[in-house]
Amino acid sequence: MNTYLCHILIQQDRPTRSSLEVLTRTRELARRDGTRLAACVLHPEAERFVEALKPYGIDQIYLVQHPVLSQHLNAPVLAALEAVFQAAQPTLMAFPSTEATKDVLGALAARVGAAVLPDVAAFDTGASVTATRPVMAARVLADAEASEYPVLVSIRAGTYNAQPDETPTEPEIVQVPFTFDPDTLRATLREVLTGTTGQVDLSEADVIVAAGRGVRDEAGKQLVETLARELGAAVGASRAAIEAGLFPASLQIGQTGKVVSPTLYIAVGISGAIQHVAGMAGSKVIVAINKDPDAPIFNIATYGIVGDLYQILPLLIEEIRRIKAGS
Amino acid sequence: MNLCVCIKQVPDIQAPFRIVEGRLQFDVERHVLNAYDASAVEGALQLVEQHGGTVEVVAIGPASVAETIRKALAMGAARGYHIEADASGWDSATVATVLAAFFQERRYDAIFTGKQAQDTDAGLTGTMLAELLGLPYVSNAVGLAYEADRLVVTRQGDAGREIIELTLPGLVTISNDMNDPRIPSIRGIMQARRKPIERLTLSDLGLTPEQLRPRTHVTGYRPIPPRTPGRKLEGEPAEVVRELVRLLREEARVL
Ligand SMILES: Cc1cc2nc3c(=O)[nH]c(=O)nc-3n(C[C@H](O)[C@H](O)[C@H](O)COP(=O)(O)OP(=O)(O)OC[C@H]3O[C@@H](n4cnc5c(N)ncnc54)[C@H](O)[C@@H]3O)c2cc1C
Ligand SMILES: Nc1ncnc2c1ncn2[C@@H]1O[C@H](COP(=O)(O)O)[C@@H](O)[C@H]1O
Repeated sequence: MNTYLCHILIQQDRPTRSSLEVLTRTRELARRDGTRLAACVLHPEAERFVEALKPYGIDQIYLVQHPVLSQHLNAPVLAALEAVFQAAQPTLMAFPSTEATKDVLGALAARVGAAVLPDVAAFDTGASVTATRPVMAARVLADAEASEYPVLVSIRAGTYNAQPDETPTEPEIVQVPFTFDPDTLRATLREVLTGTTGQVDLSEADVIVAAGRGVRDEAGKQLVETLARELGAAVGASRAAIEAGLFPASLQIGQTGKVVSPTLYIAVGISGAIQHVAGMAGSKVIVAINKDPDAPIFNIATYGIVGDLYQILPLLIEEIRRIKAGS
Repeated sequence: MNLCVCIKQVPDIQAPFRIVEGRLQFDVERHVLNAYDASAVEGALQLVEQHGGTVEVVAIGPASVAETIRKALAMGAARGYHIEADASGWDSATVATVLAAFFQERRYDAIFTGKQAQDTDAGLTGTMLAELLGLPYVSNAVGLAYEADRLVVTRQGDAGREIIELTLPGLVTISNDMNDPRIPSIRGIMQARRKPIERLTLSDLGLTPEQLRPRTHVTGYRPIPPRTPGRKLEGEPAEVVRELVRLLREEARVL
C-alpha cells in the first residue's frame, strides 16, 4: 500500500497550524486514493506531540528524537528527513511552506531522487501529482505537474483548513533510528537573533496589521502595535518599513518575505507593490489605509480609507475599544 | 577568495503580458538579471573587495543570456561562463544537474545562487546544487562576512536571524534583502566589453539527454482570479472609521 507522508513542524511547543492544514488536505487525498496517511515529527522530544496529532486520523507517526534537532540547522534536518523517507517510502511527502522547509526541500529532493513542486496554492494526486503555483510575484498561476513519483510538495499557509478527523485513529508510533555526530557539521549555528518573542506568528495569524513606509516613526509604529493588540492580531511589515529600521525582518510579507492568508489584513501606509501583494493577496478581507487615493493597494482592497494613518489609526483604535466594551 | 555566482536571465516580471491558450506572451520581450542574483553578485563583489580574490559568473540559457552576463561583468565580475542551451522547459532540478556538471570541473571557495528566480519563484536550485556537489550550504542569506577561512552568514529564518559559520568550500543562496546591487558605471560597462565570456555546450559538460529530462512541467498558465473590486471610503475621518468598523462587523463579519 502506498503512503502519503506529512512533515509536522513544531513551533511554540505545538504542531503549527500550517502543518495541520497540510495534514488535513493529505488525509483527504489518502482516503480517496486508499493510501496510508503518515506524519513525521523531528524534535528532541518528538513523542510529546503524538497526543496533539491523534485527532487527525493518521495511520503512522514517524518520530526522530535527537538533541541536535532542538534548533533548525539544515544538515541534521536533512539527514533526519532522509531517514524518515527511507523508513516510510512515501509516494508523496507534503510540507508546510516555511523558511525551514525552503532550507531543505531542494536538497532533500536531490538526495532521495524525488520530483518536487514547491510553494503550491493547491495540489492533487492522480496519475501524477498536479499543483497550482502562483509565479512571477503571484501575477499569474502556473499549472504544474510532476511526471513521476515520488513527489515532494510544499504548501502555502492558509491554502486548506485544518480539521480533525471524524473518527480518530490510534496511530502506530515508529521511532526512526537516527544518529548524528555534531562534530561532522560543516555549517554550525553561532547564534539566533529573535526579534519577535511572544508575537503571534504571522503565518498562523487570523488577523494581521501590516505597516508600510507610511509608518515613518516610533509614534506610527506604536499606533500599529496598539491596533494589533486591540484586534488580537499579528504585526506584519513591508520591505520598506523594515528597511527603515522600525520592524524586524521576520515580519516581512511578500515575494521575498512570508506568504500569509489571514481572514483580515489591514495594510497601513503600504502602496501595494506587486512584490508585497504577492505575499498577502490571498487574504479574505483586505483593508487599506493610505493617503494617496491612487495607491495600487486600493485595487485589491475590500475596504479602503483614503486618509492620513496618523489621524485614522487613533480613531480606529478608539472605535474598536468602544465596540469591545459594548459587547 | 574565488567565488562563482550562478545567474539567471528572467523576463521583466513587471512587464505587461497576456495569456494566449495557456501560454505567457509578453507584449515586449525584456530580459533582466534576476534581482536575487544581482544581490548575490553584489554580495560576492563586496567580499572580494574587502578580502581579495575574484568573482566569476555562470549562466545557462540561449544566446540572449550573454547580455545578462555582460551586466554582471559590468558590475565588476571578472569572467563569465555561458552554458548555451534552450532551458525553457527545464525545472530547477535540471538546472542544478547542469550546474553541478559545470562545477565538477572547477574549484571555487564558495558558490552563490539567488534565493529564488523572480519568474518561477521556485527557490530550489541552490540547495539542490549543494546536495549534488556534497557542499555545506546556507540558504536565504541576508548578511555575509569572511572570518578566519570561513563565511559567517546571517540567514533569515522563520522566527529570527540565524548566524551560521560555513566552512569552505560551501554554497550560499542570497536574498535581495542583503543589499542594494550597484548600478554599473560607464567605465564598468566599457571594461565589461573586454572581459572574457567562455561558451560551453551541454556535451562539453558530458551531459546526456536522460540527465536533462525535467521531472516537473508547467502545463499552462492561468490568470489569478481577480478580487472583487472593493469600496473606497472618503470623507470626514471619524465617520469613515465608524463606517469601516460597521462594514467589517456587519458585511464582512470579520470583527
Ligand atoms: C525581487 C524583489 C522582492 C521584493 N520582495 C518584497 C517583499 O517580500 N515584501 C515587500 O513588502 N516588498 C518587497 N519588495 C519591495 C517592493 O517592490 C516595494 O518596494 C515595497 O513593498 C514598498 O513598500 P511600501 O509600500 O511600504 O512603501 P512605498 O511604496 O513607499 O509606499 C508607501 C505608501 O504609504 C503611503 N503613505 C505615506 N504616508 C502616509 C500617511 N501618513 N498616511 C497614510 N499613508 C501614507 C504612501 O501614499 C504610499 O502609498 C521586493 C522587491 C523586489 C525587487
Ligand atoms: N538558467 C540558469 N543559469 C544559471 N543559474 C540559474 C539558472 N536558473 C536558476 N539559476 C540559479 O538558481 C537560483 C534559484 O532558481 P530557482 O530554483 O528557479 O528559483 C537562481 O537565483 C540562480 O542563482
